[in-house]
Amino acid sequence: MKLSNSIKALLVALPILAVAPNTFAAGAESLVLDSVHIDSRDTESLQRGAELFVTYCLSCHSAQYMRYERLANDLDISLEKLSQEMMFTTDKPGDLMIAAMPEEDAKEWFGVAPPDLTLVSRLRKNDWLYTYLRGFYLDEASPNGWNNSVFENAAMPHALYELQGSQTLVGHIEHGVEGAGDAQAEPQQGQKLVGDAIFELQKAGTLSPTEFDTAMRDLVNFLSYLAEPAQLQRRAIGPWVMGWLVILFVVSYLLKKEYWRDVH
Amino acid sequence: MGNFMEWLDRRFPATQVWNDHMAKYWTPKNFNFWYYFGVLSIVILVLQIVTGIFLTMHYKPDVTLAFASVEYIMRDVPWGWLIRYLHAIGASAFFVVIYLHMFRGLIYGSSREPRELVWLIGCVIYVALMAESFMGYLLPWGNMSYWGAQVIISLFDVIPYVGPALSEWIRGDFVVSDATLNRFFAFHVIAVPLILCVLVFLHIVALHKVGSLNPDGIEIKENKDKGGIPLDGIAFHPYYTVKDTVGVVVFFIIYLGVVFYWPEGGGVLLEKDNFTPANSLQTPPDIVPLWYFTPFYSILRASTADFLVVLGSLTAIAAIATPFIKTKRSNKIAAFVGYGVIAICLFIFDAKWWGVVMMAMAIVVMFLLPWLDKSPVKSIRYRSLPFKIAVTIFVLAFISLGYLGMHPVSALSTIQAQTCTVLYFAFFALMPFYTTWGKTKPVPERLT
Amino acid sequence: MSSNEESSNGDSTNENRSRRRFITGLTSAAWAVSAAYAAVPLVLSMTPSARARNAGAPVEFDFSKLQAGQMVKVEWRGMPVVVLRRTPAMMAGLDEVTELLADPDSADSVQPGYAQNPARADANKNEILVMLSVCTHLGCSPVEKLAVGPDPEMGEDSKGGFFCPCHGSKFDLAGRVYKNVPANKNMVIPPYQYLDENVILIGDDEARNA
Repeated sequence: MKLSNSIKALLVALPILAVAPNTFAAGAESLVLDSVHIDSRDTESLQRGAELFVTYCLSCHSAQYMRYERLANDLDISLEKLSQEMMFTTDKPGDLMIAAMPEEDAKEWFGVAPPDLTLVSRLRKNDWLYTYLRGFYLDEASPNGWNNSVFENAAMPHALYELQGSQTLVGHIEHGVEGAGDAQAEPQQGQKLVGDAIFELQKAGTLSPTEFDTAMRDLVNFLSYLAEPAQLQRRAIGPWVMGWLVILFVVSYLLKKEYWRDVH
Repeated sequence: MGNFMEWLDRRFPATQVWNDHMAKYWTPKNFNFWYYFGVLSIVILVLQIVTGIFLTMHYKPDVTLAFASVEYIMRDVPWGWLIRYLHAIGASAFFVVIYLHMFRGLIYGSSREPRELVWLIGCVIYVALMAESFMGYLLPWGNMSYWGAQVIISLFDVIPYVGPALSEWIRGDFVVSDATLNRFFAFHVIAVPLILCVLVFLHIVALHKVGSLNPDGIEIKENKDKGGIPLDGIAFHPYYTVKDTVGVVVFFIIYLGVVFYWPEGGGVLLEKDNFTPANSLQTPPDIVPLWYFTPFYSILRASTADFLVVLGSLTAIAAIATPFIKTKRSNKIAAFVGYGVIAICLFIFDAKWWGVVMMAMAIVVMFLLPWLDKSPVKSIRYRSLPFKIAVTIFVLAFISLGYLGMHPVSALSTIQAQTCTVLYFAFFALMPFYTTWGKTKPVPERLT
Repeated sequence: MSSNEESSNGDSTNENRSRRRFITGLTSAAWAVSAAYAAVPLVLSMTPSARARNAGAPVEFDFSKLQAGQMVKVEWRGMPVVVLRRTPAMMAGLDEVTELLADPDSADSVQPGYAQNPARADANKNEILVMLSVCTHLGCSPVEKLAVGPDPEMGEDSKGGFFCPCHGSKFDLAGRVYKNVPANKNMVIPPYQYLDENVILIGDDEARNA
């Protein structure tokens, strides 16, 4: 086969071309993000995340494409618990998760309307969310008193303040050339590293720093589910579909073999 | 049954069509891996039409409702998520298959005499498919949809005099708007699919008139038995129908594997910026077209003022070389007219215009393939070395352009894209020469 | 002779032929099953969505202000549901028309078990009629003819009832269809339950089963 030679040549040359542009591809975004472990099968984590979401997010942010009932069914939450603890009293279980606060009011208070969070995990990606949620710090220069190490001058104040408490920004660890001015080698005792930012806790919240990280993992896990509830079905049906296709391949291949015995 | 077929055949050529195109359509017996992609593209066409019909039942072509209606399909419609993923990922699968199908034509000489028309119709199908997917991509009304349409429609602006009016006419508004969405919906769900179906029909009619070529690039019709059946031919049905089903299953394993386990395809198949509704005030930070357009997008971006100097120099070199080439006088005159046009355009138009023109030319040159290829043999198996090298460079340049087009530009990547652009066009422009260089291998009498 | 004919001649023993037939059958069956499974998501995608089901959720109705002899229409799943508080005279009329009805015992008609009686209502409050106002002929909504006495459509000796303007079907005040009209079944009684003395829940009777 002469063709296989050129394919081989192609395979050798490809990586060379592919690597070269990589050197600049990374330059566009230089955010340092903490990676978060997402597991849509961890129902308990999803339940805790759902509770955090309805308690701390849903008063301002909607999840306008999601229905409460779906949430209860997918995450094994009883309809009673759902309607008593998680829904606004005027809502039916089948209703969409619309924020309590009218959008115009929100715009007036925060300058921008709080974005809908249904798809935020698919838009921002989970690592970004995980780092962002843990990156709020006190900043007197900001109009609402808070700033964020991932999303500078975010309009949102620290909604989870009572859980985390308040922290201040000490500096950034060195990475590349940026931030070298206030660079600090590594976080000291009692300080915490979030992305590339070093924080110091000023006032403790109801959760310890580790508990808060776990809670944020639960919340991001939930947001990831919220962005694509169908992922539960995908993963449940996937193995059956693939298994059936393998069977179909075997019988189809046998049939091909059978007929091609005629061809010499 | 027999009576019914008799009754039917007196009124409708059922048995005749079945025999002419299936049971007695004689096909070379040595089709290899590359010959699966024709039938696969038909499978995907059917798949896209069927899933598209069901999506149309729930989708709303209205800027205030479109984005929400897609999420409605993804969440509220029973199995809507599956149908939507099949359709969205099916679009990418279509282009994977079509590119491999076209590559097959290139390496085995499937476009050569007497199959030029099969190739030309195929190229028109490719262009129609690009239009179909471009307009379909606007429908979810995500921010990437919106800005993608905005950028591509703006390409028409470079046409002298009528450009701005033309792009306004295409949009039906001063920006991409409800009018644009509504007309793209009409084109995407009815006009272009109808055209595609007709073209695919013509593609197959033209193919069956001349018969399929094969990896050896020789005509099986030249060796027939006493009954007029090619000695190296086998009936399409059942031999290739059963063989193709195996290929179809393998395709589905890969395709459904992506649908069920990797629908976003790492942000290439479903882009993250399309998970937020269209915002006419904010362009996504890293705007890129879908992967199957990125080679051409790279060519568009490669056109800078510096590149025009390169283009002018290459034209000058060609003009100096032309008198020394052994060819008919009329060909030389035509070549000089071409150089003249390029020179005049270099004076009149800027890099933006050239970017659009080169992008369009990148597709137009594909149509010319059957006439640019002067090799005495058709299949790459018997071709001389220069052709094999040229094809390898071309594939690398095309893939590199695609890769570069998916990433933001930098000084280095612009030079890389410009190099690849030159290589891309050189592959076609120099084809009449290198296909005649070197020594071809002897072509066998019968299939190997 | 082409290669395939040559070889299939040499290969056509009985054993080979039956093996080929078996594998062809097996593969065809596998593909048929695949096609059937592939059709399932498409077919099911046309069933009511979560939004439609939410919009069609059971509706509550407070009938405390409904006077005897009065009727209202409530919307449930987009369909008109009649809620009628029948007077004793109306109730008495139901027994007088039995002879003229096509299905007086509602044996061939659709209603929950607790409404399969002459009044076609919950025995606890059998003067309250809760009924889909949808003609069983072709789905029009019949007009109410509550008055007892001569009526151009219902006849000289009407005991009150419902008349369908589309094709002239006639029903009594329990939605039971008369003989010799296009419709052949009584109008449908939806599932319902009482949440308290005066509030009815249309579309859900789970509390009855509990």
